[in-house]
Amino acid sequence: MAQVPAAKDALAPGKAHHGTAAPQRQESPLLKVEQLEVAYGEVQVIWGVDMEVYDRQVVALVGSNGAGKSTILKTIAGALKPKAGRLIFAGQDVTGQSAADAVRRGIVLVPEGRQLFAGMTVHENLLMGAYARRDGKRAIREDLDWVYSLFPELVRKRGQLAGTMSGGEQQMCAIGRGLMGRPRLLLLDELSLGLAPVVVDRLVEIVTRIHRERNLAILLVEQDLNVALAMAERGYVLETGRLVRAGTAEELLADETIRTAYLGI
Amino acid sequence: MSASQSSSFARRAAWAFVALVLAVAAVLPPFYLSGYWVRVITSLLMYGALASAINIMVGFAGYPALGNIAFFGVGAYTVAVLMVKYNVDFFVALLAAGVLAGLYAALLGRAVLRLRGAYFGIATIGINHATSEIVTNLDSLTGGGRGTIVPFYPGGIQEERMFFYFLMLGLMLLAVGTTWLISRSRLGYGLRALKADQEGASVMGVNTTRFKVIAWTVSAGLTGLVGGAYAYWLSFLEPPYVFDITMGVKTYIMAILGGAGTVVGPVLGAFTLELLSELIWGRFLEAHMLVLGIVVVLVVLFIPQGFMSLFAQLAATLKRRRTGEVRADG
Repeated sequence: MAQVPAAKDALAPGKAHHGTAAPQRQESPLLKVEQLEVAYGEVQVIWGVDMEVYDRQVVALVGSNGAGKSTILKTIAGALKPKAGRLIFAGQDVTGQSAADAVRRGIVLVPEGRQLFAGMTVHENLLMGAYARRDGKRAIREDLDWVYSLFPELVRKRGQLAGTMSGGEQQMCAIGRGLMGRPRLLLLDELSLGLAPVVVDRLVEIVTRIHRERNLAILLVEQDLNVALAMAERGYVLETGRLVRAGTAEELLADETIRTAYLGI
Repeated sequence: MSASQSSSFARRAAWAFVALVLAVAAVLPPFYLSGYWVRVITSLLMYGALASAINIMVGFAGYPALGNIAFFGVGAYTVAVLMVKYNVDFFVALLAAGVLAGLYAALLGRAVLRLRGAYFGIATIGINHATSEIVTNLDSLTGGGRGTIVPFYPGGIQEERMFFYFLMLGLMLLAVGTTWLISRSRLGYGLRALKADQEGASVMGVNTTRFKVIAWTVSAGLTGLVGGAYAYWLSFLEPPYVFDITMGVKTYIMAILGGAGTVVGPVLGAFTLELLSELIWGRFLEAHMLVLGIVVVLVVLFIPQGFMSLFAQLAATLKRRRTGEVRADG
């Protein structure tokens, strides 16, 4: 199982940023969300949200149940259309793009609750992740080897139907499937949902490793502030559809109101 | 390595042998069997084709196209009108039947495929009724409720039997072949993904709307071809004959009975159900629907995945036993 050298691949999908040596904060953000408003029919749930994710950065979006975190991720991934506001990805206005277009641009969502294709095997699920790719079988094969090296437990289960695995294994398969799309921006929705703490620790470790080896940008949504800020360097706090705080992981963890509201201490 | 090679050779040889037997079994009947049995088998083949066609929608895309029989009617009337009113050659009319039925589905699909699950199923039943009404009211073109007589096959009785037997066999092979191609293609994987989870499929980059429309167009086109062949075979058409929702539901059950989403399952389901229907239910005309209902309940209870899942289970058991032996040897 040949592991793909991380350095070679770190910038591979990011043509626009290739060779940009400027410090991260001075380049333009990979993803810029401007005054985003989203509504389900008549019911508006997101109000004037501004966010930025820079290339090769891990950013967390935290907030309580029903705050609108998943809605924002789905909108970025093209699964929902915004009511107002703009989405800019790699310098290009992508507001209102379809989910298929988003995948082709390198925005890949690992949806909440896994949403694996239950009638397909683990292997087929992983290959589905590469569905929109056009860069040839060899590149896909290499990524497949890499995903299997990240999640050795999936190798033994590759022929098994995805719906029959444990929650933790399904989440690994879902992350693997997302990685197979070769994202520039990986959107992780509720990684820890319904999983045992020991499994969550393992996944946190792997996400950190993925970020290190591929240097991709990750925007993750979590209810669990500790889990989120263990992975992310920056975070946004969402409350009933509005951003109430933004800052580095240290700043947010030090914030008294956030500590009482989300950590119960 | 050599052991696995020789076993793969043996497997290939076994498949070739099975294929040969099937080919011979498919060609022989019209030469040796009585007219009655040739007619029965021709109708088995027709249902095999219809079940395969609906399976593309039901088994692959996961859309319960209960009213798919509408395209059967469209195909049948296309052949009838073209042959009666415009003296078109049968094969040209048949081709037109497939194309027209496919276009009809493509046109409707953009709107109707927004519906999911039972709502889609109900909408297709509505389409079937509406199309039937349209055909009935286009009196001058279709003969309306009085029906229309399609030109007879020009040839002797034996020749006619052969013709329709091999026509339906060809259409069934076309439907199964198309299914096989789909099952191995990007389209097939995309459809299976959207069947399992539509939103999940779309965030993987599957263009769900386009794929659903393509699947329905192919399914309808094949159904239309079979309808066209049926019109020529039956030689007398009335809207209730070919826009028959019972027939549509029957093909649906056949697909599920054999194994929705498999390549040959629907054909097995069609042969089983239609043969049962011919052998037993033909003698209990009144209880026909009752027995159909009981079969559906039994299938759902005991083999919800259809016949093909039984074969898969058997294969898995044999494999386990074989690898178990290998382990015992080593």
